[in-house]
Amino acid sequence: MRQLLLAITLGLTATAALAGAGHDGSEQNISEAEIDRTIEVTAGDLWFKPNDLVIAPGETVKFVIENLGQIEHEFVIGAADAQKEHREMMLDMASGDGRHHDMSAGHHSAGNNVMPAVTVASGETRTLVWTAPDTANNDLIYACNIAGHFEGGMHGELKVKD
Amino acid sequence: MSFSSADASLSRRQLLKVATALGLSTAALGLRPAWASPNGISNVYPHGAVQGRDIALAVRRETLNIAGRKALPITLNGTSPGPLIRLREGDDASLKVANLLDEDTSIHWHGLILPPEMDGVPGISFAGIEPGQTFTARFPVTQNGTYWYHSHSGLQEQLGHAGPLIIDAAEPEPFSYDREHVLLLTDWTFEEPESVFRHLKVAEGYYNYQERTIADFFNDVAKNGLADTVAQRSMWEQMRMSSRDIADVTGSTYTYLLNGHASIDNWTALFKSGEKLRLRVINGSAMSYFDVRIPGLKMTVIAADGQPVQPVPVDEFRIAVAETYDVLVEPETDRAYTIFAESMDRSGYVRGTLAPRLGMVAPIPERRRIADRGMEAMAGHGGMDHSAMAGMNDSGMSGMDHSGMQGMDHSNMQGMDHSAMAGMDHSNMQGAMPAGGLLPVGAAQPGSRYDQPGIGIDPGKRRVLTYRDLKAYSPWPDRRPPGRELELQLTGNMERYMWSFDGKKFSEVDGPILFEHGERLRLIFFNTTMMEHPIHLHGMWMELENGAGELIPRKHTLNAKPGERVSALVSADAPGSWAFHCHLLYHMDAGMFRVVKVA
Repeated sequence: MRQLLLAITLGLTATAALAGAGHDGSEQNISEAEIDRTIEVTAGDLWFKPNDLVIAPGETVKFVIENLGQIEHEFVIGAADAQKEHREMMLDMASGDGRHHDMSAGHHSAGNNVMPAVTVASGETRTLVWTAPDTANNDLIYACNIAGHFEGGMHGELKVKD
Repeated sequence: MSFSSADASLSRRQLLKVATALGLSTAALGLRPAWASPNGISNVYPHGAVQGRDIALAVRRETLNIAGRKALPITLNGTSPGPLIRLREGDDASLKVANLLDEDTSIHWHGLILPPEMDGVPGISFAGIEPGQTFTARFPVTQNGTYWYHSHSGLQEQLGHAGPLIIDAAEPEPFSYDREHVLLLTDWTFEEPESVFRHLKVAEGYYNYQERTIADFFNDVAKNGLADTVAQRSMWEQMRMSSRDIADVTGSTYTYLLNGHASIDNWTALFKSGEKLRLRVINGSAMSYFDVRIPGLKMTVIAADGQPVQPVPVDEFRIAVAETYDVLVEPETDRAYTIFAESMDRSGYVRGTLAPRLGMVAPIPERRRIADRGMEAMAGHGGMDHSAMAGMNDSGMSGMDHSGMQGMDHSNMQGMDHSAMAGMDHSNMQGAMPAGGLLPVGAAQPGSRYDQPGIGIDPGKRRVLTYRDLKAYSPWPDRRPPGRELELQLTGNMERYMWSFDGKKFSEVDGPILFEHGERLRLIFFNTTMMEHPIHLHGMWMELENGAGELIPRKHTLNAKPGERVSALVSADAPGSWAFHCHLLYHMDAGMFRVVKVA
């Protein structure tokens, strides 16, 4: 944990200036060279580590998400209220047995904006490349929006600042 | 006070000392339980728990104020319900019970896996505790979660001889929270329990003031026509039941309590803005099912009967007698919320408040009207004459579930997980299940209604928890398929207040139900009665086959709705004799009780 934080801090100072601008969050075809930093995130039942993240404006980050839990999780980046809206929509849509959210990543749209997301099965590791907005932003969180998982504790702040 | 055993001579002064050592202030003695502190327990400031390796409980009968009236409950360490017992997984528990009553008593640690002689059921693997004696229950604590304890002697539980039992986990639990509150629901009566039981024996409808009236009859005639109405009426009469028998002891005698407090007391649970709360809800009632909700808050169910389940966001849940559910809530705004627990038969409710400060209140929701049993429970009545139904108006059958009927309706299979049925011979599904054809592990039995929350709830109105929602995080250790099935009928004669398994009261059976030590078996309950029955097996978990395949949840108490077939897998890994019974107190006392012997 401490090592991870150290890595994040080092990564910030070393690569913040290299951030490529203008990437849409959902874009996956970014070459390794454009990645400023790799952040390891572990997901469990029902938690994320680290608990919060700080990313520089414009920085391109590769998230490596390992699911140590026994059930499927997702990692979605988006504004807190957009994610809340998405969770409520999912609950409303669900009926009868269909309560369990099994949307594949990428369907997490809030209005016209697609929220970058990846779904990770138990025991697996997936990556998500994302470029932070160019300006400081305090509205973003990362979350698992599978029914009840957010409420159980699967969310964290994602601060975009220098 | 003098006692035959030196071990038992707990004087009042010693009792006070014990109580003080346990963290109870002396001022708390004689009042409502200290754990019902409005502050709850946060990770930082623990309040009001009786914990540690050596816990002492003194059982007595004394005068207390309940709902503003003088009452004579059974108390534990001076409160009724008793203190919260807080244990730690991995510890060895030592619970010393001193009987200061003038009759035998006992304490059963409900839902705990422990040696049979520590289970606290008099006459089975334990003698009971005589007046003036003490008994110390010692056992390793091998599980964690929300449980409770209560007397297993006679009808003492009805007198408030019960309390919450919380076991803190050795490893992190699969959820996080900032503060917790215990919500213990009970049903109090100012009548003596023996008198309640006598009334039930003499006149089953004694507490049922909501019988159909002549006005209802004319309404039905207007709606359904005379012939249909008469046909329906006579059918009910033939079955010796009343369509409004949803609970047999009702709010006409019960005052429903939340943490020992009636609605007028407005028991309040405090939170700080931004906190996430864990509510540990326990139904410690003698006879009452509750529908629990907190209008304005989504509740995320995270555990059932102490065992973690994958989270289920709901607006309301029904809690059967003896069940526990843990939920998370996140009150976002600086306002009060009503904790509302309405009895299933709608004859009453208890409310409390969740608020940032004491003295705040929120509106009490409008109460729902009593539901008719309609036809939903008819399935269980084997002797029913189907021809009598010919003239019936279909509108009366909306609540009917065909699943339990002999000529099984395939529509029932919709909720089933067909993927789990691979290799199964579908021809077997015609009509009743054949003797040799076992269902795959975890599949829902034909005749189950796990996707229905139960009578009097409109699932369209709000999201209500059902058994089908309950899913474990990972499979339980014993993954063997069952070697055999054991089907028991839940039977009763309402008007004579006789309740039994397979038509035989406990006093009439020859011997125990035998489980072979080490075997894996499937228990099936077929509820042939008109009422819900919460079936409790001591000493071993029941893995509820709710269609979740390998991830079926395990429980200590399973509700069977009228006419429903419910199945569970059991690993008979606990040698000894165990109680197995309906947890409705008067049903158990009337004979719906068996001994299970594992050998």
